[in-house]
Amino acid sequence: MTTLPPVSARRRTTDRAMRGVLLALTLAALVPLVLIVYYLVKEGIGAWSSDFFTTDPTGRFLGDPGGIKSAIFGTIYMVTLASVIAIPLGIGVALYLVEYGKRGAFAHAVRYFVDVMTGVPSIVFGLFVYIVLVVAKVGGTFAAWKGAVALALLMLPVVTRASEVVLNLVPDSLREGALALGAPRWRVVLRIVLPTALPGLVTGSLLAVARAAGETAPLLFTAAFVLGTQFSPSERMNSLPLQIFNDVGQAQDRLVERAWGAALTLVLLILLLTLLARLVQRRSRLT
Amino acid sequence: MKTYPIIALCLSGALALGASACGSDDNSDSSSSGSSSSSKQLGGTINGAGATFPAPVYTEWAARFKDKQGTTLNYQAIGSGGGIAQFTAGTVDFGASDAAMKDDEEQAAEKKGTPVHVPTVLGAVTLAYNVPGVEKGLKLDGATIADIYLGKIKKWNDPAIAKANSGVDLPDTEITVCHRSDESGTTKNFTQFLADYSPAWESGPGVDKTVKWPTGTGAKGNDGVAGCVKQTDGAVGYVEQAYALQNNFTTAAVKNKEGQYVAPSLDATSAAGEAAKPPADLRFSTINAPGAGTYPISAVTFLLVYKDLCKAGASSKQATLIKSWLDYALGDGQKVAPELEYAPLPDAIKAKAQAKVDALQCNGKAIATA
Amino acid sequence: MEAGSITARGGRSILERSSRSRALDPALRYGLTALAALILVLIAFFFIRLFVEAKPAFDQFGYFGFVFDNNWDVSRSIYGSWPLVVGTLITAALALAMGVPVAIATALYITELCPRRLRQPLTILVELLAAVPSVVYGLWGIKVLAPKLKGPEQWFSDTFSFLPFVGGTVSIPNYFIAGLILAIMIVPIVSAISREVMTTVPTENKEAALALGATRWEMIRLSVLPYSRAGISGAAMLGLGRAIGETIAVTIVIGNSPDIGESLFSQGYTLAAVIANEFGEAASNETHRAALIAAGLVLFLLTLGVNGFARYFVNRAERGERTVPQGMAG
Repeated sequence: MTTLPPVSARRRTTDRAMRGVLLALTLAALVPLVLIVYYLVKEGIGAWSSDFFTTDPTGRFLGDPGGIKSAIFGTIYMVTLASVIAIPLGIGVALYLVEYGKRGAFAHAVRYFVDVMTGVPSIVFGLFVYIVLVVAKVGGTFAAWKGAVALALLMLPVVTRASEVVLNLVPDSLREGALALGAPRWRVVLRIVLPTALPGLVTGSLLAVARAAGETAPLLFTAAFVLGTQFSPSERMNSLPLQIFNDVGQAQDRLVERAWGAALTLVLLILLLTLLARLVQRRSRLT
Repeated sequence: MKTYPIIALCLSGALALGASACGSDDNSDSSSSGSSSSSKQLGGTINGAGATFPAPVYTEWAARFKDKQGTTLNYQAIGSGGGIAQFTAGTVDFGASDAAMKDDEEQAAEKKGTPVHVPTVLGAVTLAYNVPGVEKGLKLDGATIADIYLGKIKKWNDPAIAKANSGVDLPDTEITVCHRSDESGTTKNFTQFLADYSPAWESGPGVDKTVKWPTGTGAKGNDGVAGCVKQTDGAVGYVEQAYALQNNFTTAAVKNKEGQYVAPSLDATSAAGEAAKPPADLRFSTINAPGAGTYPISAVTFLLVYKDLCKAGASSKQATLIKSWLDYALGDGQKVAPELEYAPLPDAIKAKAQAKVDALQCNGKAIATA
Repeated sequence: MEAGSITARGGRSILERSSRSRALDPALRYGLTALAALILVLIAFFFIRLFVEAKPAFDQFGYFGFVFDNNWDVSRSIYGSWPLVVGTLITAALALAMGVPVAIATALYITELCPRRLRQPLTILVELLAAVPSVVYGLWGIKVLAPKLKGPEQWFSDTFSFLPFVGGTVSIPNYFIAGLILAIMIVPIVSAISREVMTTVPTENKEAALALGATRWEMIRLSVLPYSRAGISGAAMLGLGRAIGETIAVTIVIGNSPDIGESLFSQGYTLAAVIANEFGEAASNETHRAALIAAGLVLFLLTLGVNGFARYFVNRAERGERTVPQGMAG
């Protein structure tokens, strides 16, 4: 029985060195995260106060700059509206692909184009909605619902893809068992497949919502920017990312501070949604 | 199924936040309308967009205008170019620009009606610099500033600058030039001034709302340029006076037509307006105005509306609101302007502007003053 | 019970269905098919509409002219987008150069080297980088990172000025900062996909290497990396696609100067940033608007191409086409 030659010193050094490099690079990846969290908390908490959340930005040059109430409201409103559009649509398309389309040519085309949509830069969605809805003056010029449409376009491929993955995980035996008992196809889909996949669908949708909440570019030329809180979907509406974007370039310190405070709020909102998504995922019997 | 109650809690929390926000909004509205019960509450919303140059005074006016008659004014400071573009596209009720519309811009706007330029205030384009150790009042003349912006003068202790500033200890710091990245009336006025004193500038980058800058960092809006100046040692930028004052910038004293170095101030800006003789359509400029005490880079800024507001797309109620805003600008607003170091219009020009506003129509008929 | 007489509610045989029940089946099927068709129509409309709106710019400057002319001059209405294309490519290349090695390293560390109980926390931490929205990256980039790095950048620029594209004054917003921020933003995606691919490496390959006396690093080099090569390339291209399309973070930290900067530390501009900055002024100017939409179209086609490549590589990896690890051949 031959014994293996002992590992040479050179090889041992290389091994240790490369393992050190991999560890160092991994830590390097985490350094920005730590720095971002540190600065967000350090600069952002200072801006937080009860006024910060309950007053609108005033836009005034001197005097009180106001808070971010309209921005928070606008983000929640537009993201909710976008979800109402995108989530049913996305789950519907995924249902089609998994239950009826499967490997057909049509389904293949749909899958391909949904993939294409995931890669489209968010500003191009905003540009598209700008051309089709704002410039064409469909129901007024800038409007909150148009911003919601741009966000929905962004969310749609994400929801579809995630839902397709989850729906594929539902075991065929469940479907076959139900069909064998004489349940009609639609009942199998709506009463067996969907409820089984529900936690996974909720997870995918929440992640898409978290993504939409942080987007600025689609809202730039659709919902535009306005200071006050208003509830009409056909008027302009403020949003957290836009408020931050506007305050970022300012020279006045208290406006930059407001940007940090708004950034902290936005990141917390997104983290909350992501956490919810993960919690729901744990309840899933599929993944 | 324990996760779903958590989701329900979060959703209701969000709703509660929204509800409380609604609640506080109502409270503030009722208190403000209660205090100004003397004037008629018209309510409604007007949307405007344009220059960042007068944004400080316009937003102050908007706040007081809302107190006075309950109308919300949304002003989006996106630059004069944006203001003219949005005005022409009809996406706003009024536009704002520091640069009078060019002929081709007027032609594009003719599709909706005749554009009317309403001058509102005068402001000073200051040269703000961030050079530690150098006090306010560095003396600069047009040719030197042009050379800085052309990239020919690269350091603060350059002989050209030292010549006019004997006695000032200029450091060996590199000059970082800050300019606008968006289409700006402030840029147009600034480049007009440079072109008057520098043939190289006139034949090179030229005079326009945006030019091909030979050097420097671009920033959006007067506020962006202010930010650019603030964050770099050795930076210089052109910003409206209110922005310079707000950030405690040191500003230069600029040589005017008569050869005097004048620092930007309310009086020096007003002096520029006194000598102006505007044509009938009120498209005029006060750059490089004569007068010993005149600040040479003083600029007038305009509000843009269509002569027949309703034909251009406004409802008759909206037309009344827009007219009341213009009346405010030329009336009470003029008294507010000096608080932010903007010079009110000279009486003669104000009268002409008011006449233009009075002549605005809605579908051929005069608009009743609210 | 006799066969064929199983009854449902109401006493009827379950093999007989009510007409309402019978109608719902095709209703659902065709409804969902219609939804899917709607997506196709939407995307087709999307592409066609963008092209139609951009056409005036292409007509005026030519397809090649628009992309390759080095002159974006708004005041003279000349729109050659080459400086923007170069800016986009430079920042994306910087992002790849800095981000992909780090992402691969984290993926390798998490899957192969780290203690088992650290795996989940480390994965979550890396994914948290993806939870930070683009505008917050921009805020942090311009207010924290860029000023802090200006000193080191100036030192680097002075010391290594003999290198091409290095030397001269350093501006605070520049290509390098934009590339660095983009690198941080693409690490989570590239890392997540690389990790997925690496976990599919058959344990036999890894055990074989170890059994033959390879050190841990050699095992990675011989078994894991060659096997995952296609998947990692795909992941890198997806990261590239993301870097090309990123708008807001870049707009805030690139300096918005429509010229090709001389060095890595000069200001520049990208296709996405120019759209975000100039759309407001283009509202009524037909040529300017067409030029911006054309820029959007060029951007879209770039990401389309890159993502197409990426999908090809990732599919290859998933289908399990792998090359024999080099160290083991022959």
